[in-house]
Amino acid sequence: MAGFRDAPPPRDPEPLRVDRVTKRFGGFVAVDELSLEIRPGEIFALLGPNGAGKTTLIHCIAGLARPTAGSIRVFGYDTGAEFRQTRRLVGLVPQEVSFDPFFTPHESLMIAMGLMGVPPDSARADALLSAFALDRHRDAYTRTLSGGMKRRLNVAKALVHRPRLLFLDEPTAGVDVELRKDLWGEVERLRDAGTTIILTTHYLEEAEQLADRIGVIHRGRLLMVEDRDVLMKRYQGGTLRARLDVPLDEIAHALPPGAQRIDRHQVAVSWSDPEALADAIQTLRSAGGLSDLAVEHTRLEDIFVELIANADDESNGERGTA
Amino acid sequence: MINTVGLRTLLVKEIKRFLKVWQQTVISPLMTTALYFLVFGVALGGRIDRIHGVEYIEFVIPGLIMLAMITNSFLNAASSLFQSKINGTIVDLLVSPLGTFEVLAAYVAAATVRAFLVGALVYAVAASFTGPSVNNLFWALYFGLMVSVSFSLLGLIAAIWAEKFDHLSLFPNFILTPLTFLGGVFYSIDMLPAPWDVVSKLNPILYVVNGLRYGLLGTSDVPVMSAAAAAAALATALFVIAVLLLGRGYKLRA
Ligand SMILES: Nc1ncnc2c1ncn2[C@@H]1O[C@H](COP(=O)(O)OP(=O)(O)OP(=O)(O)O)[C@@H](O)[C@H]1O
Ligand SMILES: [Mg+2]
Repeated sequence: MAGFRDAPPPRDPEPLRVDRVTKRFGGFVAVDELSLEIRPGEIFALLGPNGAGKTTLIHCIAGLARPTAGSIRVFGYDTGAEFRQTRRLVGLVPQEVSFDPFFTPHESLMIAMGLMGVPPDSARADALLSAFALDRHRDAYTRTLSGGMKRRLNVAKALVHRPRLLFLDEPTAGVDVELRKDLWGEVERLRDAGTTIILTTHYLEEAEQLADRIGVIHRGRLLMVEDRDVLMKRYQGGTLRARLDVPLDEIAHALPPGAQRIDRHQVAVSWSDPEALADAIQTLRSAGGLSDLAVEHTRLEDIFVELIANADDESNGERGTA
Repeated sequence: MINTVGLRTLLVKEIKRFLKVWQQTVISPLMTTALYFLVFGVALGGRIDRIHGVEYIEFVIPGLIMLAMITNSFLNAASSLFQSKINGTIVDLLVSPLGTFEVLAAYVAAATVRAFLVGALVYAVAASFTGPSVNNLFWALYFGLMVSVSFSLLGLIAAIWAEKFDHLSLFPNFILTPLTFLGGVFYSIDMLPAPWDVVSKLNPILYVVNGLRYGLLGTSDVPVMSAAAAAAALATALFVIAVLLLGRGYKLRA
């Protein structure tokens, strides 16, 4: 408990329960009767194309937007009626980096801490500055920091009150490789310390690497929520590409089932489990002698693109019949 | 349950914010007001008759103090909130466990501190020419407080509503300065021809200028009790509007 000084104790272990939340902007529906439950201590990656409603959903939870309908509970507290409890439990790293030109990084952290209702603690501010490699800029004017430094300061600011539920809205957009790895490390450390984390990203690699569960949102609706491992297993497999010594015409009958010709010597075979892959390689080898071989795995990216394409087809279909 | 730590933090932050640029927020308004005082009071004042039995140079002092307090309380609240809207740091406030009343209290209190600081300095400069004069300290402080509260609330309302700097500057340029000048800073409404003496009584700033004039000099165009009531009504009306806007998150929370 020592890590969550002064925060209200959770009323319910469930970090987040979003129940049929809708957010409209005028006639436009940005979040559409969306429901979602988050498990204690998980890292949840929210994926979706630009304009899908990721930021809007997060804003509804964190208090930056008011849902048009539905209810949101954070550790059992209602984000509307009990906002003082929920906001104390939630940390938000917004998609847009912001900073106050009047204050230094150290002052900014002290202010952020105080606003959250935590008595400002200079040592904690210093610890956060060094955790994000900003200690050298402790007393610099914030406007003199580089873009990446400002982003790190934004992450540090979201942690001042030791939130139990942390939102990272595209934390690594426009961030160099090294900093991205640092941030991933920090996210994993926070998770290990018991923080539940929801992040949005356009880097599927990031979701694959960090997330315990993955949700795909499109046009304000959740298309899919799945354990990362289940997802990766379900879509296990990929494509095998091979170049044979013998022209394909001469051995057409001996090719593995489902093989597709790319050109006179090259062939592609899709595979779904390692056994099938081994068989296919064996078949090709005895058919015509392998001169080159490449095995490609289905990536999260492919799954994602497929889901979105299917959803768009369906809604086009709906429109067509309407 | 009040977030007292948050309230105190926001208040201190807001005071630090204007003190960090004190030349602009304290000295510059003092200079402007001192210029009015030198031109209208010292240079021209000798050629103008006494009004309600006081020297013209003394007569303009309460009005100039009010002008400074109105402008500074408005600008402090308006520019701080508007800047945080523009630079995005308003998010820190909106995701914090601070309620409407705590946010209002912190911004209004910080703006009031600045208004009293500038007001006191203007008074000190003026008193160095005319000698100090306080007829009734209670009423002087009462009107100073009502004005600071009212116009910092108006500043917050303006900042919430404004989408660009031009919107914000409409208020001082087209509302505050004209109403203050027409609110009897430089003259008594008794000197106006009909119907302007009556029309002037629709101007809320007339009451606070005369209220402070009563507090400092003991003379006023309107009874001090009606001035006090008008000032309280103005503050209450602006408070209600600010609470409604901020409570609903108008233009702040999507
Ligand atoms: N304040 C607003 N007023 C009107 N429309 C809005 C507002 N905020 C968001 N929208 C719209 O809602 C939709 C969802 O936006 P949102 O920012 O949630 O998308 P996102 O999934 O975060 O996208 P990105 O990956 O680009 O950040 C978009 O079509 C956007 O134009
Ligand atoms: Mg977004």
